[in-house]
Amino acid sequence: MDTGTEHPLSIVRNEAYEIFSELGFEIADGPELETEWYNFDALNVSKNHPARDMQDTYWIKMTESEIEQAQAGERSSRPVLRTHATSVSARMLEKASHENKNTCAYISIGKVFRNEATDATHEAQFFQIDGSMIGENINLSNMKAVLLKFYKKVLGEDIEIEFRPSFFPFTEPSVEVHAKFKGKWLEMMGGGMLHPNVLKNAGFDPEKVQGFAFGGGLDRIAMIKYKIPDVRLFYQGDLRLNQF
Amino acid sequence: MKISYSWLKSYVPELPDAEKLCDVFTYHLCEVESLETLPEGEKIFDLNILPNRAHDLLSHQGIARELAGQLGLKFHDATPMYKIPESLPTKLQIESQTDNCRRYTGRIVRNITVGPSPEWVVKYLESIGQRSINNIVDATNIVMYDCGQPCHAFDIRKIPGEKIIIKNAKDGEELELLGSEKIKAKLKNSDTVIANADDMTLGIAGVKGGLHSGVQNDTTEIVLEVANFDPVAVRKTARRLGILTDSAKRFENDLSPTLCDFAMMELSALIVEMCPNAQFETIVNFEQKPPENLRKITFKTAQINNMLGSNISDGEVVAILQKYAFNYTQNGDVFELEIPAMRLDLWSINDVAEEIGRIIGYDTLAPVIPKIDFDKKVNEKHEKIMRARNVLLAHGYSEVMTYSFAKSGVIEVAYGTSGEKFLRTNLSDGIKKSYELNRLNAHLLGCDEIKIFEIGNIFLEKNVEHTHIAIADKKGVKEFSVENFAEKISDENNLSQILLIEKITDTKIFIQNFNKKHFSKKEIFSAWSPFPFITRDISVWVPEHTDPEILLQIFVEHGGELLARTPQLFDMFSKENKTSFGFRLVFQSQNKTLTDEETYTIVDNINNTLKNKGYIVR
Repeated sequence: MDTGTEHPLSIVRNEAYEIFSELGFEIADGPELETEWYNFDALNVSKNHPARDMQDTYWIKMTESEIEQAQAGERSSRPVLRTHATSVSARMLEKASHENKNTCAYISIGKVFRNEATDATHEAQFFQIDGSMIGENINLSNMKAVLLKFYKKVLGEDIEIEFRPSFFPFTEPSVEVHAKFKGKWLEMMGGGMLHPNVLKNAGFDPEKVQGFAFGGGLDRIAMIKYKIPDVRLFYQGDLRLNQF
Repeated sequence: MKISYSWLKSYVPELPDAEKLCDVFTYHLCEVESLETLPEGEKIFDLNILPNRAHDLLSHQGIARELAGQLGLKFHDATPMYKIPESLPTKLQIESQTDNCRRYTGRIVRNITVGPSPEWVVKYLESIGQRSINNIVDATNIVMYDCGQPCHAFDIRKIPGEKIIIKNAKDGEELELLGSEKIKAKLKNSDTVIANADDMTLGIAGVKGGLHSGVQNDTTEIVLEVANFDPVAVRKTARRLGILTDSAKRFENDLSPTLCDFAMMELSALIVEMCPNAQFETIVNFEQKPPENLRKITFKTAQINNMLGSNISDGEVVAILQKYAFNYTQNGDVFELEIPAMRLDLWSINDVAEEIGRIIGYDTLAPVIPKIDFDKKVNEKHEKIMRARNVLLAHGYSEVMTYSFAKSGVIEVAYGTSGEKFLRTNLSDGIKKSYELNRLNAHLLGCDEIKIFEIGNIFLEKNVEHTHIAIADKKGVKEFSVENFAEKISDENNLSQILLIEKITDTKIFIQNFNKKHFSKKEIFSAWSPFPFITRDISVWVPEHTDPEILLQIFVEHGGELLARTPQLFDMFSKENKTSFGFRLVFQSQNKTLTDEETYTIVDNINNTLKNKGYIVR
């Protein structure tokens, strides 16, 4: 019998899950419709960060008083379409701390949303790959090795990666991960050591537990791997895309 | 931010070539957007300063200090050369009626002459894309681009009684702003303004000055403003008004109030250079609260190594701290680092690790796979999804993905750029459209019929989402929850109720194997043509045991580039020592709409070739 064809994003996603599972990561998932707490506050994103603006993020329609009520408690339950899959790390790390697990690693690949004008490289929805690993001595060199394994698996054995200085609210130190693919350095994802506030919000003592987290677009990896010219092609439901 | 190479060099004369600095920036500080050479030879960097360094690096001095530290070069401090005449007593008063003003230093300067700026000032400003206005305004701008502190000058004629009041704006009041655009800003009570004693608004705090209160050609006496405003307040006002001035950009990133002292000194020194007869009065200083003591962070090199996975020694740490001119003490293996007031980004050991990490360069970190036995759990939902996918793929169903947004639903986004503002309540609507689209392309896809599935989340009631699986085929659309689907497919007998399952015959296997042999998955995306395709089916009798490969070669030879895909074998049967093969040829051009005639010509040629070989075209 003829087998069906796979969506390119699924191919890359499954390769990612495979390699990260081999490296000890547990596959995790979380809701696409998140709370303000897990999407922003738990991740040390300041109240005044531009990502919290109406213009960049899909907040759910509510009345002023409903918003006020949702934000009243210690943890805002105001619903938002998650802007990154890092919210899954926030949830999983919290769960781990409740279970007194000081050594763990999570990988999660899921849909995220950005309220922006779409073009060949921007979509209102796309997939993100997000990972985190904690332990007593988990460090940035470990993240380098893990990501190198991942990119070798997905983009080929001759891939090189490098870290460049960057900034994200949820990691410190923060780095931008670049990969050299077919002779060209390309920005691939962001990452770094989990910010002490993120560990604290998850219920860990940053003096005792540390770890790294990384995240980036899956669509971008697939576009680079297969030379797909337009991110919007992924969501047209068009089987002509399933060429790989 | 635009940064002039020669401006940097005035602080660090031994800087290497501009081109060489690009790598230093990229690997140790920030992204270089561009390096441009202006017609007169000046080199200009466009740097993407990271948000956590916007406190101190949106300035030439900041960048120059960074480079001096990174490269171990000498930083030339210009301060000792500033010659500001002795201050005269002043009657200037500063009163703040708002919490949004953290600091306000003011100084009256008399006996100035407004005129053109010295050549070097014009050159510096123009090289970074700024326009020279007059000597006084230029002096305030030079200070901002040099040390990062926004400054302003008011004409004293608009400040009766020499009193400045910082307060909330009146709701609805309008202020015409400085600049050629003649913008009238409509203010709100939450905006902070600078006003005079007559309750006249002179400027919007941290954003822009008013037109009428600015320096005029005949101005001879001014009040210099070097202040520090609340970042959030400035940001809110600037964003609401849509006026993102360089000043607002710096304030919204939070500046150290201590910077005011240096900036006032530098501004005064520049005015002395431009107006040698200027008379300076004493600086008046309003401070919301006294300056804080410098923070200290204690750390051990071992902690830094443990975080980075690096292997640096105490000696290397000392060398870094000295090159960067940090004040520190070392007690055995414990360092106590005094954080400069401008470094609002350094608070914890993680921050020190980042500082050291970027200075040594992250390329020095060797990749090390962590050797930890993780106690990991199986994700049951993921397992169910994978099993469902595998069953669907194995039965000929192909995977699609569609949008999570819909025209109607239960949950609506507050503000969306596209027309579809609701979250989908099912996958069925999307997969129906996908089915129709693909059905029209079935021949192009080489399918007899379309069988597709999508796995994705739907949103029903408030804050609850479900992961669903939808399948579509000629029997229609079915949608299940992942759990429900997993249960159904666990029993093989159920499959035929859900999925279209073909009967397998020897002929079918032959056809499939033949087509499979001529189909290869692509490594690189191949764009499809936007023009319509035309299908021609050709059936031909050949002597029994003729390899259909021979037919395929004839089709490919004649069809050439106009064949949208390898012709598919779709039918085969034998009778009286003859076999009939049915092939489907799909024609499509990459750059025009094909006419029927064009395809008939090809088919005629094919038929002739077949006849010449003695085959009978049906």
